[in-house]
Amino acid sequence: MKHPAIPLAVALLLISFALISYRVIWLKYPIFPPAPEKVWRLSMDGQVTGGEKEITVMVGLPFTHRGQMVAEERIRSGTLAFNLLHEGPNQVGVWSGVISPRGEAIGYSATIQVRPPQPIKTKTAILEPYPLNTQEEDQALAKRLVRKWDFLPAADRLRRIAAALRGIWGSPPPEDQDLREWSAFQENHIHLDAVLLLLRAASLPARVVEGLQLVESVTGSTLTWVEVWTGQEWDSLQPENGEIYQQPVPLLALTTNGLPLIRVINGELSEVRWTLNRGIISQWRMQFERIMSSNRFLDRWSLFRLPADFQGTFRILILVPIGALMICLLRNIIGFPTFGIFLPVLMALAFRNTGLAYGLGIFWGVVLFGYVVRRQIDKLRLLLVPRLSVILTLVILCIIFFALLGNKLGLREFMAVGLLPFVILTMTIERFFVITEESGTREALWTAVGSAGVAVITYKILQLEPLQLTFFVYPELLFVIAAIQVLLGRYTGYRLLELFRFRGFWGSS
Amino acid sequence: MILKAVHWLREVGVLGMNRRNAEYIMRFNPRSFFPLVDDKLKTKQLAKAHQIPTPPLYHVIEHHGDLGDLAELVSDHQEFVVKPARGAGGSGIILVSDHSEEGFTKQNGEVIPLKALTYHISDILSGIYSLEGLEDRALIEALVHPNTVFDGITYLGVPDIRIIVYRGVPVMSMVRLPTRSSDGKANLHRGAIGVGIDMGEGTTLKGVHRSSVVTYHPDTKKPVTGIQVPHWESMLLIAARTGDMTGIGYLGVDLVIDRERGPVLLELNARPGLQIQIANQAGLLRRFDLIDKAPPEVFSTPEIRVAWALDTFSARTAN
Repeated sequence: MKHPAIPLAVALLLISFALISYRVIWLKYPIFPPAPEKVWRLSMDGQVTGGEKEITVMVGLPFTHRGQMVAEERIRSGTLAFNLLHEGPNQVGVWSGVISPRGEAIGYSATIQVRPPQPIKTKTAILEPYPLNTQEEDQALAKRLVRKWDFLPAADRLRRIAAALRGIWGSPPPEDQDLREWSAFQENHIHLDAVLLLLRAASLPARVVEGLQLVESVTGSTLTWVEVWTGQEWDSLQPENGEIYQQPVPLLALTTNGLPLIRVINGELSEVRWTLNRGIISQWRMQFERIMSSNRFLDRWSLFRLPADFQGTFRILILVPIGALMICLLRNIIGFPTFGIFLPVLMALAFRNTGLAYGLGIFWGVVLFGYVVRRQIDKLRLLLVPRLSVILTLVILCIIFFALLGNKLGLREFMAVGLLPFVILTMTIERFFVITEESGTREALWTAVGSAGVAVITYKILQLEPLQLTFFVYPELLFVIAAIQVLLGRYTGYRLLELFRFRGFWGSS
Repeated sequence: MILKAVHWLREVGVLGMNRRNAEYIMRFNPRSFFPLVDDKLKTKQLAKAHQIPTPPLYHVIEHHGDLGDLAELVSDHQEFVVKPARGAGGSGIILVSDHSEEGFTKQNGEVIPLKALTYHISDILSGIYSLEGLEDRALIEALVHPNTVFDGITYLGVPDIRIIVYRGVPVMSMVRLPTRSSDGKANLHRGAIGVGIDMGEGTTLKGVHRSSVVTYHPDTKKPVTGIQVPHWESMLLIAARTGDMTGIGYLGVDLVIDRERGPVLLELNARPGLQIQIANQAGLLRRFDLIDKAPPEVFSTPEIRVAWALDTFSARTAN
């Protein structure tokens, strides 16, 4: 314990501890970051075109209510005027004015914090009249179809109807005659009317909602679903396949009560694109607006002061040392071999774009294919640098091939291979070959498995959002990582696999 | 279970990879001395200056331009060895046992034309076999005829003797025997067997093949134990003097016993492996500690160090 590495590690720990204490006690930072997955960044872009008349574009927009908070709204309207309009429960953005023949780009963006669902204690929803384009005999038919469920609670009635939409009527089944009439009705009406008719017949208040699915996406089309009042809350029903969404509902409503999401008068709104991103930092910004305006030194030097588009990079970057720490652990404590030192970390970073399964598959594919080619190249006896260049070219060709294949199959993950660390892959192929030649295939495969293993572990760590946030708020935690790394650097004990390697000595003393 | 295993290894004084790197290589092997052991030509020159025998050097080929005269260069020598100065793990070495108009006969009987040999040397010069892919030199030196004592337990190739030297004191030793799976090479990670040697007696103990203990050679099926290694003490002396000569505190010394010339120094290793402990069923750490605790007069001359080692590390004294 007299080694100078120990005081260094202790000093690093103390620095980290002091800075964190300062932030928590004087700057009143929260100790635990709030749950990150509830914040979304929504943006809408579109191109307005039209004639010489004044054009009006109305688009349903999200607004703050019990289930969500909308903040940081930004409007892009160009030469058009913008107004917010309330239509019943909806909030509608209205862009209006005369536009140039070239058209005008409009846009909207906002940060939406989805709150955890709470039971609603408001008045019961009103049962709307039957859908407009249904006849009385249709309504009577629907009533006959759902009559056997009348005595059930609202939520159960909804489930039975949902099942019926999938063709499962339960027992006893409705009369054949009724079913035939129902099929005929479905033929002549849009599906949504059929759904609403059944729900109304079962005395379930329902409304048509248009919006987006809450997943990271860029889409031109929106989703329509039906919200059904089941006495305590609105359940969301997917009308096409009769699926009831589980709570919390992964949907973002933009307009309800059947109001069309986009209405345009005297023109056209084209190239509409909805973008949804998880916006963790934005949520922090909401929390940290006070800190942002603070003049305290650490606040001014916080990573939150970076432009938002750089913050994401740093959120990942700040976790890379943990990946390096994992490699230290694996190599020096466990004794598992890896290719190079940082290949697994770079692989993990690439996996973020390709996804784990594809990333690993492509990694193995490229390495094994590269190995086969490398064996052939060995016969040519090329010099080191030209030889590595040939393999590099091969790797790039592989990546191009995967990208083209991905494009053909519509697999975005394959196209993201461009982000794989190709230089590292090249070196991996070379190392894999050398290890195979010098120590055998088994050793080489072990090393490859070790590298892939650390890459997966590192990837999982990098994906931990609470960890990302904690490090982002308290970057001084990196000192703790450094302290552990210093201590690991002085670990002179046995590696775990050495215990096995020297098993011949067990019990011999 | 794990703690128990750690305890046993501690008891025996087994040296682990982490401790080897942090406590011994980093402390006793200054980086600046590495070129002396990584470059066989430098090792050879240094050994010559210290009167340590090495296989006689015929020629050093440094430039591609010199290759035109290759036939003339080797015409005086019926047999010779071509090796890269900075090659690792025995790669790039060709043993030529005879040559005539048709070409050069390799030790495994294959005949290669002059052109092929020229290409091979050209590859060496370009750094194909060199540690960092740097340009290299090719050595042409005398072929060693290994002492027949290990003939029964060698499959092709040349058996060599590895002696670990710590602070100039020979610590532990093994014979490395080529096998079919090692392709005639004496490198343990290629599948050669390492057979421990009793430091006091110079007799062979059990062997290690891959990670398991063996008492028979896997190819010749002959027992590997109980063989008296010839020139034992003079080899220990060479090893001890090599430690002085390089200034490297923790060194692997590889020797071959030539039929006529006796032990000759082949190469040195500044990062010797730990497998030797399995071959000897003994821990390096315990022996290192004994050396560290030895009185200062032990270190005064190589002869005293060898005498001390013979006395201290004999299998009979159970260290």
